[in-house]
Amino acid sequence: MVELRGVRHRYEGRLVLDLEQFALPRAGMVAVVGHNGAGKSTLLRLLALLEAPTEGQVLFNGTVVPRRAPASLRRRVTLVEQRPILFRGTVRDNLEYGLRIRDIGGTAGNGILGDVVGRLGLAPLLDRRRHELSDGEVQRVAVARALALRTDVLLLDEPASSADRAAAGALYRALAAERAERPFAVCIASHQLEDAYRWADDIRTLADGRLSPVTPENLFRVELPPGDGVKSVPVGGIEIVVMTDRTGPAVLALPPTDIFVSREPLASSARNVFRGRVTGMAIEQRGAGVHVRADMNGVELVAAVTAEAARDLALTPGAGVVFSFKATAVQVF
Amino acid sequence: MDFLAEGFRRAWALLVTGDSEVFGIALLTLKVAVVATAISCTVGLPLGYFLATRAFWGRRGALTVVNTALAFPTVVVGLLLYGLLSRRGPLGGLGWLYTWQGIVVGDVLLALPIAAALSAAAVQGVDPRIRRTAETLGAGRWRVAWTVAREARFALAAVITAAFGQVVAEIGAAMIIGGNIRGSTRTLTTAVALYTSQGDFGLALALGLVLVILALLVNIALQVLQGRGSG
Repeated sequence: MVELRGVRHRYEGRLVLDLEQFALPRAGMVAVVGHNGAGKSTLLRLLALLEAPTEGQVLFNGTVVPRRAPASLRRRVTLVEQRPILFRGTVRDNLEYGLRIRDIGGTAGNGILGDVVGRLGLAPLLDRRRHELSDGEVQRVAVARALALRTDVLLLDEPASSADRAAAGALYRALAAERAERPFAVCIASHQLEDAYRWADDIRTLADGRLSPVTPENLFRVELPPGDGVKSVPVGGIEIVVMTDRTGPAVLALPPTDIFVSREPLASSARNVFRGRVTGMAIEQRGAGVHVRADMNGVELVAAVTAEAARDLALTPGAGVVFSFKATAVQVF
Repeated sequence: MDFLAEGFRRAWALLVTGDSEVFGIALLTLKVAVVATAISCTVGLPLGYFLATRAFWGRRGALTVVNTALAFPTVVVGLLLYGLLSRRGPLGGLGWLYTWQGIVVGDVLLALPIAAALSAAAVQGVDPRIRRTAETLGAGRWRVAWTVAREARFALAAVITAAFGQVVAEIGAAMIIGGNIRGSTRTLTTAVALYTSQGDFGLALALGLVLVILALLVNIALQVLQGRGSG
């Protein structure tokens, strides 16, 4: 649908995005994950045809988009920014804004509004003004305002950052329901790996403006055995103990910060204790953290420790290491 | 004190009886002010938006020029325009010296920097996300500008008031270009100056009061408009 080719984008001379190829499929949901400053928002602005890349091409349906994209093309894409803002007027005025631009009114307009209002549960908010809404409600209205336009491409920058878990779930379910009705491309920038894995068809990692070939750390596709509570799940050559009532195919995610690193096994409540060898270490771009990569009987796990801890434990590639984590630390999607 | 009280009494009488000279001068002043404000805001507000939102070479210089022009003395503008419009000047052929149109030109030159500089500041005060959001929802250039203007409506109303205030109260350009001709180019400010110097304090005071009332009415009208569009 939208594709970037050989794109290098700079802000004041600084390279913020460097993508050889990035395409959004016509009817898929792509999640772009990465740390703050990884280039996610810039990527979305390019995909939204709001900015032209410093170098490279943007293609829409296989056709190269001119540097100043025509309004007719821009209207086929929409973006909800990370901290969205509503225009003055009521929630209803906001929902109608883009429809008025497209000359959609009357019965057709009301039908579309009714759909998105119902889908995102906005009926009680319709006559409210922006200062009468919470951050989470503003975010929901902004998503509805974009969804109402029924564009071919919907781009969402951290769409659930101000929402609680229940509201985030409702938002993603609304998106899924809309997608079930009509095919369109969705791209979500998020640092919530959990949401990405649960809702997206494809996950791409952005690091320092480049696509990272490494998938986000400690993610494993598994088959959960039947039964309730604590389960032992085979992952490669190890068995990870998890706590879940789910069965069947699932994804296990283990936040690197939840892994306890030591040189020898320690007496603790951790149900998962693995002995292995350090295969690599990477200093985080910001702060004093170190990512310790270790091979645990053929399975690579990544733990995050402070630089001080890494020094105290004398961690070096090849050194023996023990990773421990609780069964409850493992998230199941 | 008697002198002052007598002045007020005469002013009141002139206003209540609907003195034709007072009302003639007031009407001309209003006409000049409305036309000059309309022209300066029609040009100045879009110019301010352009300066605030477009990145172009020399933008900073342009903003500095506009801001400097805010403090340009009215008599100097009058003097320069006099040179241009006088019979031997390059624009002498227009025949606008000592006409109300000439005063309008002078007033536009004075109010334009106010309209441009203050509206640029007003637009810069609007959350940049408003502009970006309008673009993401498919708005074209004009719709984006209109959306931003709606957000800045209070500040823009203040810009129009300030431009009108400048035009209605200035005396330098009106005196030099208009020539203070009775029944033709005599405005409230030039008339106040003349009648004070002639010792007709009551008439000067009456005209001064009309000037204050005019300014007050315009401000009230703008406040009503703002109130209607609030929220």
